[in-house]
Amino acid sequence: MISCSILNESLANNMDKMIDDEMLVTQFKSGIQKAFDELMKRYERRIFSYLLRSVRNYEDAEELTLEVFFKAYRALGSWEPKAKFSTWLYTIASNLSIDYHRSKSRHPVFTFEDEDVIEKRLVATDISSNPEKQLEDKERGEIIRAAVDELSAKQKEVFMLTRYEGLQIKEVADTLGMAEGTVKIHLHRAIKKLQTLLQPLWENNEI
Amino acid sequence: MTKCKISEAQVIDYVIGALDVPSAAEYRHHLTTCNHCIRQVNVLKHVLQLVDTAEAEITPNAIVLTDLNSKLYRRLAEEPLQNASVQSRFTDFISRLGLILQLQKPAVVGLLAVVAITITLLVVNPFDNEPTFEVDQTESANARIEQYHHQGIQRSMEDVIRNKHLRQSDEWGTVSQLNRVKDQAKGTDWATLANKHLKGVSSKL
Repeated sequence: MISCSILNESLANNMDKMIDDEMLVTQFKSGIQKAFDELMKRYERRIFSYLLRSVRNYEDAEELTLEVFFKAYRALGSWEPKAKFSTWLYTIASNLSIDYHRSKSRHPVFTFEDEDVIEKRLVATDISSNPEKQLEDKERGEIIRAAVDELSAKQKEVFMLTRYEGLQIKEVADTLGMAEGTVKIHLHRAIKKLQTLLQPLWENNEI
Repeated sequence: MTKCKISEAQVIDYVIGALDVPSAAEYRHHLTTCNHCIRQVNVLKHVLQLVDTAEAEITPNAIVLTDLNSKLYRRLAEEPLQNASVQSRFTDFISRLGLILQLQKPAVVGLLAVVAITITLLVVNPFDNEPTFEVDQTESANARIEQYHHQGIQRSMEDVIRNKHLRQSDEWGTVSQLNRVKDQAKGTDWATLANKHLKGVSSKL
């Protein structure tokens, strides 16, 4: 009896996965509330990870994730599927992230270091000579993330979406409302800038 | 070592896997002979690996979003329909009303009954003895004065007729009474009647 219920649950889960996002959207539009719950279950972690990388703050990322789904819920009734549902969600998340950074820049809590300062810190961090490796790893992580934060807003968005969200160039172009060529230019510049900023780290390690 | 002519963008595209299959195969073949490109590729791969590691540190493997679903629906319930059109608001109101009626039928029927009784009491007020319409007091007074005036003439006329039959010999007394009634009833039908009786009595004198 127990095995039967587990089997049914498993089948139901598999069925859920078989239903694509657009079909769930259609179901939601026809009044099936659970369809939105399923969409949320599918994307909440991905959207949260994306926003966490963007805003670097757990609570703010959680709040923005809620805002993304709130906006999506309100607008889904009139949404026309010109692109994938996931692309649309990332567009909402990206816009909220931009607003967040604008708001932070108007009311700055801290200021970013300029490139020279970051480079000096990178030179000073020689991981091979420091015995407290754990602390160094943590500091090195912070320095690398600071370098990522040095990218322009568009470069960072493009880099994050392609690298960590698995979006194709065309999907990023749809998400950010750019031409594919522009996305590529931003991506190339982002990687080149990271290479320049992080150069001291690998030079010290002699890769 | 001479610097090769492969563009930086092409190297980046190769590292991030953005080259198409034939171009990637061609570049892989090029890498077997070009130390400059090998170094470039290694540097870029290392940069991306460093960033991947640093980014993975801040993104926990098991993300637990505390009750996001409940938070969303609570937020939706609290937030007014700011951007909704009048039509959608009306539709929303009707659908909510329908839902309430469906779910809370006995309570809603009871409530509606109470509302109906309250309105009836306020508008009709069956316990009130005062007339439900108001007459113009001035108009009513004039009508009453007119009515009493006619009643007075009628009483005088009746006295005249009664005296005429009781006192048949006193013709002068009757003529005198009819003349007072005629003055009293000036401008009314009673004056015509008094005049008619006066002519009849006068002819007998």
